[in-house]
Amino acid sequence: MLRMQRISKSFGSVHANRAIDFDVPAGRIVGLLGENGSGKTTLMNILFGIVGPDAGLIEFKGRALRGHSPRDAIAAGIGMIHQHFTLVPAMTVTENVMLGWEATGWWLRPTAIAQRIRDASSAYHLGLDPDARVELLSLGTQQRVEIVKAALRGVELLVLDEPTSSLSPPEVAGLLGILRRLRDEGRSVIFISHKLGEVLEICDEVVVLRDGQVVGRVETTGVDRHELARLMVGRDVSSPIDRVTHSTGSERLVVAHLLARDALGIERLRDLSFSVRAGEVLALVGVDGNGQAELARVIVGIDRPTSGSVFVDGADVTAGGVAARRAAGLAHVPADRATTGLVTDMTIAENLALRSFDEPPLRHGPWLDAAAMTELARERIAEFEIRAPGPTSIARALSGGNQQKIVLARELAGRPSVLVAEQPTRGLDPAATRFVIDQVLALRAAGGAVLYITTELEEALLVADRIGVLYQGRLVGLLRRERVDLARLGLMMAGALEEPSDAAALYGVPTP
Amino acid sequence: MRPVLAVALALAMTALLIAAAGKNPLLAYAALGRGALGSWDRIGVGLNKATPYVLTGIGVALCFRARVINIGGEGQIALGGLAATWIALTFPQAPPVVLPLLALTAGALAGTGWAALAAAIRLHRGVHEVLGTLLLNFVGVLIVSEALQGALGEPGAGFPQSPLLPRASWLPRVLSGSDLHAGILIALIVVVAAHALLWRTPFGFRMRVLGASVPAAVYAGISPPGVLLGVMSLAGALAGLAGAIEVLGVHYRLIDGFSHGFGFNAVAIALLGALNPITVLPAGLFFGFLETGALAMQRAVGVPTPLVAVIQGLTMIFILSAMGLSARRSKV
Repeated sequence: MLRMQRISKSFGSVHANRAIDFDVPAGRIVGLLGENGSGKTTLMNILFGIVGPDAGLIEFKGRALRGHSPRDAIAAGIGMIHQHFTLVPAMTVTENVMLGWEATGWWLRPTAIAQRIRDASSAYHLGLDPDARVELLSLGTQQRVEIVKAALRGVELLVLDEPTSSLSPPEVAGLLGILRRLRDEGRSVIFISHKLGEVLEICDEVVVLRDGQVVGRVETTGVDRHELARLMVGRDVSSPIDRVTHSTGSERLVVAHLLARDALGIERLRDLSFSVRAGEVLALVGVDGNGQAELARVIVGIDRPTSGSVFVDGADVTAGGVAARRAAGLAHVPADRATTGLVTDMTIAENLALRSFDEPPLRHGPWLDAAAMTELARERIAEFEIRAPGPTSIARALSGGNQQKIVLARELAGRPSVLVAEQPTRGLDPAATRFVIDQVLALRAAGGAVLYITTELEEALLVADRIGVLYQGRLVGLLRRERVDLARLGLMMAGALEEPSDAAALYGVPTP
Repeated sequence: MRPVLAVALALAMTALLIAAAGKNPLLAYAALGRGALGSWDRIGVGLNKATPYVLTGIGVALCFRARVINIGGEGQIALGGLAATWIALTFPQAPPVVLPLLALTAGALAGTGWAALAAAIRLHRGVHEVLGTLLLNFVGVLIVSEALQGALGEPGAGFPQSPLLPRASWLPRVLSGSDLHAGILIALIVVVAAHALLWRTPFGFRMRVLGASVPAAVYAGISPPGVLLGVMSLAGALAGLAGAIEVLGVHYRLIDGFSHGFGFNAVAIALLGALNPITVLPAGLFFGFLETGALAMQRAVGVPTPLVAVIQGLTMIFILSAMGLSARRSKV
């Protein structure tokens, strides 16, 4: 159906795509795998007409696509669903489907469109209500709106970019089912993902990119994930995680009966209590938007809880701000590297100093000590193997993995008592993910307490001693790692199951 | 290099307009150059003109660095001039060195208060500082008018102005044979101090982080309200100082409307100077010399002075376009 031949594209001196051959046969689901910066996005942008290739041919359904715009691509039958949806929140499903659809003609016929949405919904088991307002739908349902939008427009090749990153496990299963039905109708799907497990489960074949080149094209029946990971990174990264079991110590982080409302008065945290001991990682899993961000903000002191307390090493820090809690031994890796964890327009040295610029040795009387800042940066760059030209390079120029290394270097340098890590591996390739996990486990081995907030169950199982599930601001389950049942955790994340916390897992919560 | 190119383009465009008005642009620009830089006297006048621009421009630049949009320079200048006048008229017996220092300090404090008022309205009542500073401009200018109609006015002057200030309060001249006063020295000290503040102190670091990313600032434990109040007060102090210098060094009295246009030119100068204290200096000098040269140009060739405003406006448009073209790569 799709043939992309010898596609090349350079941005300045960077060769994003080098003579890539990429074919998608009809009725196949093809996975596109690669680390960040391997050229996946560029290739898809070229396919969709967002950028033009320097060289190469694109052939879709036997016709050449040349100098086309996204509009032409859509008209030809190519649909793209981005990580961030392109729906209008305040409009209904029907209105969103009609939006920008030329086939609706001069007159809008909402009832006819709504009927077609209902038909498609039952054909693909989407469970969509055409009259529902999009902003009231879950992310998983919104994604189905995108799919029905594409399907009704007669899409024959659907491109999904990291489609499962904000879905709960049951929603992921639902999505994969929908994709299989689309495939069985003879449509084709390009599935872009970092998650090797999903890629192996859904794809018929996988194309692996590295440094802008195709380094492998394999049938999924013949490979395992280690093989795929090795192809992606170019070396073996699957050496076993060094996760020693050891006895845990005293409680370093205690969160007691936290209640938090947002500006609109909606409860975001509902009576949350848990503790994390020295030498322990507690992972909190859950679908995005169930209170994770609010919890992290309240623990690190950016927001104040409506009621409840936070203790670090036995001291009540609830009244203190960010600086006071940092002084108490709290480190924080925020979810959003680009806007919160880093100031991407500033230098590496300045970013490493972001939270300690106002104390010695970086402050010298009333002055910042630029030399000390540079010296500190040199040490951290060496210690954390940050790949950068030097301390004064701008953080923006670094890869995602190296940017996250700056954040980790800054937060872990002082051997904190407690680390709150929010989605620390989001958007990172396997090698960088591995680096983050190793650092977290190193802190654990050194007696730190880690609260690890993630949407990835597999990752939680990799790092955590205990796993808790957040659903609508409540802890709906807390299990020791050995007793984890993936199916049940998935149901908890979807809000379909709640069970009293494992008595052995929930300990030491003081009563107010 | 970009600002220079933008200025050149603006001058070229204006040359076309001068030609369209039936005058010779080369003669006009020659007259402008002579009027701006033709003698020590002219240079002195230009530097005097540039002094309040540099001071207020640096204040605005620091604010913009922290993503605080302060367009209240005019009101802050007005009140600075008012406070300096009041001190000079109230304590005429004070010793010569003490009196100007006292008056300058009062001007700076008045500017600080006026800017801090806008900051407080932002922090406590949620009124954006763009609106707050803009509206306080009108109030500030009218307070000056009111004072000149009443307590500070010169009886029988026929124009709203204060009596001549006592000689002891005047800023000393620093270049014999010209009107150049000590204000330019203050401006140079402020340039260096603001540069050091921005790049070498924890407060400057806070401003730069906040300007680059509010969430990152909060994460770093920086208090956005604290920085807003601090940087606004600082800008107010510089503008108030500029107003005091204008009164004590140029007019020797408070004149109704003396602050007119300074505040908005300061915004233009801050942008032209790429929000860097060091480069705000040449930007301010450019505006100052352009204005003194324009008067000469008008006298010599008959080109109307409003064309100077056209050059300033075109320069700004070219600068901003050039900045827009190169998606912000500059260090923060």
